[in-house]
Amino acid sequence: MSRRAETALVVFAAIIAAGGTALVSLTADDRLTIDTAAAFGAHLAAFGGLLVAIRRWAPAASRVLLPPVAFVTALGVIEVFRIDRDLGRIQRWWMLLAAAIAAAVVYLLRRRGVEVLRRFRYLWLATALGLLMLPLTPSSWPLGGATVNGSRLWVRLDLGERTLSFQPGEAAKILLVVFLASYLADRWQALAAMPRELGPLRLPEPRQLVPVFIAFGVSLGVLAYQRDLGASLLLFVVFVLMLFAATDRPTYLAAGGALAAGGAVAAASSFDHVAVRVEAWLRPFEDFTGGGYQVAQSLFALADAGILGSGIGNGQPYLIPAAATDYVFVAITEEMGLAGGLAMLAAYAIIVAAGFAIALRAAHRFRSLLAAGLTIVIAVQTLLIVAGVLRLMPLTGITLPFASYGGSSLLSNMVLVVLLARVSHEERA
Amino acid sequence: MKQAIRPLTYTLLALLGFSALWLTWTETRAGADYRNDPRNIRAFEPPGDPSRGRVVTADGVVVAEDGPDGSRRYPEGAVYAHLVGFDSDGGRRGVERTRFGAMASRDDGSITSWLLGLLGADLGPPDVRLTIVDEVQQAAYDALGGRTGAVVALDPRTGAVIAYVSSPSFDPNDVVDGSLDPDDADAEEALRDRVADRVLPPGSTFKVLVTAAAMRAGLDGDSEIQAGASYTPPGGGMPIRNAGDGGCGGDLVTLTRALVVSCNTAFARLAVDLGAGRIVDIAEAAGFNRAIPWETGTVRSSIPSAAALQSDPPALAQSGIGERDVRATPLLMALIAAAIANDGVAMAPHVVDALVAPDGEVLHDTGTRFLHRLVPPGTARDIAGMMIEVVVGGTGGPASVPGVEIAAKTGTAEGSGGPHAWIIAFGPAGEPTIAVAVVVEGGGSGGQVAGPIARAVIEAWLGYGE
Repeated sequence: MSRRAETALVVFAAIIAAGGTALVSLTADDRLTIDTAAAFGAHLAAFGGLLVAIRRWAPAASRVLLPPVAFVTALGVIEVFRIDRDLGRIQRWWMLLAAAIAAAVVYLLRRRGVEVLRRFRYLWLATALGLLMLPLTPSSWPLGGATVNGSRLWVRLDLGERTLSFQPGEAAKILLVVFLASYLADRWQALAAMPRELGPLRLPEPRQLVPVFIAFGVSLGVLAYQRDLGASLLLFVVFVLMLFAATDRPTYLAAGGALAAGGAVAAASSFDHVAVRVEAWLRPFEDFTGGGYQVAQSLFALADAGILGSGIGNGQPYLIPAAATDYVFVAITEEMGLAGGLAMLAAYAIIVAAGFAIALRAAHRFRSLLAAGLTIVIAVQTLLIVAGVLRLMPLTGITLPFASYGGSSLLSNMVLVVLLARVSHEERA
Repeated sequence: MKQAIRPLTYTLLALLGFSALWLTWTETRAGADYRNDPRNIRAFEPPGDPSRGRVVTADGVVVAEDGPDGSRRYPEGAVYAHLVGFDSDGGRRGVERTRFGAMASRDDGSITSWLLGLLGADLGPPDVRLTIVDEVQQAAYDALGGRTGAVVALDPRTGAVIAYVSSPSFDPNDVVDGSLDPDDADAEEALRDRVADRVLPPGSTFKVLVTAAAMRAGLDGDSEIQAGASYTPPGGGMPIRNAGDGGCGGDLVTLTRALVVSCNTAFARLAVDLGAGRIVDIAEAAGFNRAIPWETGTVRSSIPSAAALQSDPPALAQSGIGERDVRATPLLMALIAAAIANDGVAMAPHVVDALVAPDGEVLHDTGTRFLHRLVPPGTARDIAGMMIEVVVGGTGGPASVPGVEIAAKTGTAEGSGGPHAWIIAFGPAGEPTIAVAVVVEGGGSGGQVAGPIARAVIEAWLGYGE
C-alpha cells in the first residue's frame, strides 16, 4: 500500500466518523451539532497524528495496520455516541489520549526499538501481576479497587473531588505478552524438547510444564477474585497459543485445551456468575426477565437488522444492557446491518492477517514472537466477544478492540498496534 | 516457530470467517422467529410517527382507524371482522396484519423522510382503500343473518372482491380491549374465516366443472346423456339417486337439462364415462390442488388424484356430484363462477384497491391481474346460458332478480349437521358485473336457503351501481 493510499484511508475513516455522527444528530436530535466537526477533528488528529509519528520514528513500518484500525474505531465512536451522547464525547477524548500515548511509545522506542523491552522482562512480569492485583486493593484507599457490574477489575484513582476509573488488566495483557515473547525466545528449546513418553504421547520434562500451570493459576485467580471471565479466558488462550508458536509442539495445545475444558466445567459448576452466563447462552428465553434478558435483547436486535440495518440513529440498540461496551458489535450490526457487521469482521481480519505477516517476516525470534503474541491478543479478544454476542459461546464480557467504549481498552490496543508497527519497521529498516 | 505461526494464522482467520457466516445466518434465517416473538418490544416501538392509516371501503366507509388512545378501533364491528381482522397486543390478523407496514407513516425518522418533508411530500400514514362496497357487504351480512356460513362476491371483470362475510362473527374491538382472546379455544369458531380458510364438499355446484369437462370432451348443451332414477357405478357400492328420489325427466336427457334439474345420476355416470383424468384436469384448471393468491392467504381446495379416482369408480361417481373427497373454499367457488362469467378467464382475486396518502395521492394501485383461463370463451358462454336456465326453470329460482338475467348453480352437499346449502351465481347475464358464492353450513337446500342470500347481494350491488 502506498503512503498516499494509507493517508487517504485514514482521512476516509475520519469522514466516516463525521458522517455517522451527523446522522445520529440529525435523526435523534433533528439538528446538526458541533459533534460532527469534533468527530472529524478528533479522528483526524488521533490517527493522522499517529500516522505522522510512525512515519517519522518508524518510517519502514507496515502501512496496512493503521487504516483498518481507524475504520473500526470510527464505527465504534459513531455507535457509542449514538447509544449515549456523553459517553461518545468522552470516548473522543480517550481516543486522543490513547493516540498521544501510542505516539509517545513510538518516540521512546525510536532508537533502540523493541529490544529494550526484551531486556527488562521480569520488570514487565512484576508490573503485569501488580496491575492484575491492583483492583483487589481495598476500595477506601486513594488508589482503590472498585466493583462494577459484579466484576472487580476496576481501579479508582481519587483526584480530589473527582475520581478516575480504569482497568489495569488491559495494560497487563500487553506486558504479559512482552514478557512471554522474551522468556520463550530464550527458553523455547527446553520447552520444545520432549524427552518423555507416555504411551503414544511425547511429553516434555514435567518441570517444563510448570509455566503452563502458572498461567492456568493466574487465569483462575483472575476468574475467582475479579469475577472476570473474559480476561481470564483471554490470558489463558494467549499464553497457550504463544507456547505453541514458540515451540511448534501441539502437545501444549492439547494440554491447554484439556486444562481449559476442565477449568470451564469446574468454573460453570462452582462459580454462580459463570453458571448464569452458560444458562443465558443455552436458553436465553427461559429466564427472559432475568439472566437471559441481555442475550435475548441482542438476538432481537440482530433479527431487526437485515442487510443494511435500521439506519444509524433509527435502531434501538439502547435496549440491550451494556450496548456500548460488550454489545457494541450487535449495536453496530443493528443500525448498519449485516453489511456493517461484515465490514467490521473484514477489518479485524485485515489487522490479524497483517499482524501475523509481520510475525512471519521477522527474522529474530523475539520480534517474531512479540508480533505473533500481540496479534493473537487482538484476534482472540475479537473472537471471544463476537462469538459471545452472536451466541456461538457464552458471553465472556470483554471489550471489542477499538470499538467498545472504554479508555483503558482503547489505550492498550492502540499501544499494541504501534508495537506491531515498530516490529515491522525493524524488520525492514 | 514459523511452522506453528502459519496454522495459527489460518485457524484464527477461519474462525473470524466462521463468525461472519454465523452472523449472516442469524440475520437471515433465524431473524423472523425473533421478530415475531411477543416479548420483542422493538416491533412496537418504531421510531418516527407512530400513527397509522385507516382502512376504508370503496364507498368511503371507515372500517379501521386509530382511536384517540392510539389503539385501533373498528367502527363497523363484526361485519368486517374476518377480512379486516385486528391489530392488538396479542397479535394481528387480516388486512390489519398484511398491510400493517403499508399503513405506517412514511415519516420513519430517516434522513430520506426528512428530505421528502422539506420537498413538500405528505408523509402522513396512508389509508388502505378496499374494493369492498359497504352497501353490498352489509346486505350480505344481514342476509346471512348470523347463520353459520360464508358469502363472497367479486367483480368477474377485475377480480375485485365486493363482499366478504364469514359467520358467526366477532367484534374485533373486543380483541383490542382484551375481552376476547383470539387464541382461546372458545373463540375459534367465531374467528374462523369461512370464506378462505374452510373447505366443504361443494355438492352440485361442482357439476359446473363436470359440464365444462364434458364440453371439452366434445359434448354440447344439446348432447343427450343417460340419466334415470338410480345409477350404480361399476364396482358397486351405494346406488346414486336424485334429490327427491325421482328421475330427471327421462332416461336420456340433454346436458343442459341435466344441469338445470341438477341430475345426480346423469353427472355421476358422466364423470365415470369421461374418466378421472378429465375431471381432475378441469378441477385443477379451476384452482383445486394449488395455491390461490389471496390477501390474507387461503387453504387449498382439493380433489384426489386422477390415478386414485380412476381405480375407484364409486368414488369417481360421487366426485362428479361434488361429494366424497372433493373439498372447496367458498372463495374458489366464487372464482369459478367469475371465470364462467368473464368468458372463461379468472382474474386474480384482490381486496386492496390502492394505498392512498392523506392528501389523496395514490401511492400504490393494485391493478388487475390475469390468474388463469378455465375454459375457452365459447364454452364459457354456453355454460352461462345453461346456468341462466337454472334460475329461470330450475333449482336456482330463489336467486332470480326481477328484470335482470341471473345465472346460477345450486348445491346441497352432505354434511354431518345437515346438508350444506350452496349457490354460485353471477349477473347480469350478457355483461356480468358480479359473481357470488354462498354457503350456509347445515342450512338445508341450496336453492331455498342460499339462493335468497345470493339474490340480496346481487340486488344490493346492482342498486349501488345506479
